Amino acid sequence: MPISRRAFLAWAASSLPAVTIVRRAHAASVAALTSTGAPAATLRALADVVLPSELGAEGKTRVVDSFRRWMTGYREHAELTHGYGTSRIRYSGPTPVTRWTSQLDSLDTVARTQFRSPFASLSVERREKIVRAALPGARLDRMPGVGDADHVAVALLAHFYASPAATDLCYGVAIGRESCRPLARASRRPLPLHGA
Amino acid sequence: MRRVIETDICIIGSGISAAMVAERLARGGGPRRDIVVLEAGDDVPPLGNRYALRERSLAYGESPWPNDHLDGYEVEGPLQSRSMCVGGLAMHWGGVTPRFSPEDFRVHSLFGVGHDWPISYDDLEPHYQEAEELLGVAGEQGPSAMDPRAKPFPMPALPLTYNLGLLEDWVEKAGITMWSQPSAKNSVPYGGRAQCCRNDTCAPICPIGAKYSPDFTWSALRAANRIQLRTRTLVRRLVLAPGTARVSHAVAVERDRPRDALEVHARQFVVAGGYVWSAHLLLLSAQPGAPNGLANRSGLVGKYLTGHRNVQGFVALPLRLYPGINEQHSLVTKQFMRVTPAETGGRYVRHDLRVWESAFGRGARLTTDKGALMLGDEILRDWRERTRTGVARVRAYYDVIPDRASELTLDSSHRNAWGDPLPKLAFRDDPVSSELRPYTEERIRALFDRMARAGGGTVLRTNVDEFQDHPAGGCRMGDDPSTSIVDSYGRAHDHENLWIVGAPTSVSCGCANATLTFCALALRSAGRLGARVG
Repeated sequence: MPISRRAFLAWAASSLPAVTIVRRAHAASVAALTSTGAPAATLRALADVVLPSELGAEGKTRVVDSFRRWMTGYREHAELTHGYGTSRIRYSGPTPVTRWTSQLDSLDTVARTQFRSPFASLSVERREKIVRAALPGARLDRMPGVGDADHVAVALLAHFYASPAATDLCYGVAIGRESCRPLARASRRPLPLHGA
Repeated sequence: MRRVIETDICIIGSGISAAMVAERLARGGGPRRDIVVLEAGDDVPPLGNRYALRERSLAYGESPWPNDHLDGYEVEGPLQSRSMCVGGLAMHWGGVTPRFSPEDFRVHSLFGVGHDWPISYDDLEPHYQEAEELLGVAGEQGPSAMDPRAKPFPMPALPLTYNLGLLEDWVEKAGITMWSQPSAKNSVPYGGRAQCCRNDTCAPICPIGAKYSPDFTWSALRAANRIQLRTRTLVRRLVLAPGTARVSHAVAVERDRPRDALEVHARQFVVAGGYVWSAHLLLLSAQPGAPNGLANRSGLVGKYLTGHRNVQGFVALPLRLYPGINEQHSLVTKQFMRVTPAETGGRYVRHDLRVWESAFGRGARLTTDKGALMLGDEILRDWRERTRTGVARVRAYYDVIPDRASELTLDSSHRNAWGDPLPKLAFRDDPVSSELRPYTEERIRALFDRMARAGGGTVLRTNVDEFQDHPAGGCRMGDDPSTSIVDSYGRAHDHENLWIVGAPTSVSCGCANATLTFCALALRSAGRLGARVG
């Protein structure tokens, strides 16, 4: 019988070295988010609350898929870009994915407790109420880097708003920031987005 | 075990100045010379890997040049960068290549401050051109009175973006003439490398090689078998031939064979370790006959470190800008570099000026001005409202006159894995610069205010970067051996076969990005060295 993510974490905490626990917990969390289980459904349902409606259902699914790929690709203790004026080398921190997966679990638990229904089955208004109630402890004074987000709702937002697609949506034109584009086109005003 | 290599020319370091020297010596005509290049760091990832490295840099903030440094080299003081690899810091430079202006070489004669260089702009002009052709610089000449040059740039300028076109109109209203920033980025295919396609991550990494970096020179020279580049080989000291002032050999350690000593014997030695590792090596090389380090009869090795400070501002303008069209490209002017004391209130104030598109203060945000959390459509609506008008980034590098106590010294409390003291850095303004600093920065802020008003805008914020950018010096050039380390060609006054090239030989750092000047200086050194070697 396959072991659940929660059961695995409980067993691992008492049985394995810390590094191994972290690595396996990250893998288990990523697996939970990419399967058809509750955390994956909660994440998709969260997108309806935090992302703009203009994206449409397909657009939101694309953002969630991209966010999942980001989480899958996260590496701990990777050397970070070193800036000028310092000799300090910095490395990426512990995976945020296990924390975010637990937060998705919590959103679902609150939904089941308050409304006797999974988070993903609630109306968007009820989901938003739960999300807003979960965020007061999070740092909200600025849009953080994805990996620095305290809460999964903010991480999903930050992931989308850091994207070139979000910039294009905001300005209503195809800037295509940080993509390979013809140099000669630089002098012209960017073209309107299709349908804009 | 002791191993010995013999060569004609030994170049220590593989950064951009070293690449210029090697290229000039290897391909500059004359008899073929054996050239050995010693680099303490590793090779860099090949061009084909750079898109993937860039993607991780964008997504996760990871270094696109992983492992480009030596462990244990935490230096006290404002080190420019930890990069120590093939290509050096120029693997992640922005590729911006203005020339200094003629005044930079004569500040004492013209303004009564600082020190004149032993060379003039005219002496360096052909080497600027040569550097621009080797790097591949795209540029347009500004008004000739501001921007003197003898020949056209090797490539047409990078086009001004839609945003920069609007910003050019804006600065004209303030009476400022600006033009496309010269850059070592291909506006057309050049040097076997691709045309720029606005990936816009020039710093820290160009994924297609449209921006010049020294690894391209090293790859070509290696492929042609014109040099031997030995990586992971740290030079620990230079040794004089007994009873003479000639350098006999370099003592190095190969990081993969740490128990073996490597000696590289050569007819000529070129120290190309930038502003830190050049002076550091000379100081480490103290020995009988040179008790204070090589080339240090004057006691000035490591002194007069120089750089320039900047004042930066963000100006909100009633313009619809689209940040991201090519954010790293900018406008530039030399209008404030080419001034007389009469034009600056009788005092010495010189600076460049650049203008970029910017998204400062215009990013998506999570909370309203009153602190209320936004979700869903609220964020996008708020973002759109705040981006109806645009923001320009403005920045002025101003000349800082270096003090003698602006210095690199050996730090016996911090040592590397081989027991050698690491360097310690301290930057100090000359008293004249210290006294002028508030006046200079106030004048620049007033300029930003005037620019903003001319466009119906407001200055959102200004800040001064304490860090002195494009650091140089430590082995400055001069005609007088009592006040300088090397002559105007970079040859050490004290040792006829020792050359120090590029940044460390600078007398001052002017008020514009200095890498092209370092390259021009290195090429001038290489020309003289090649003539002497025969």
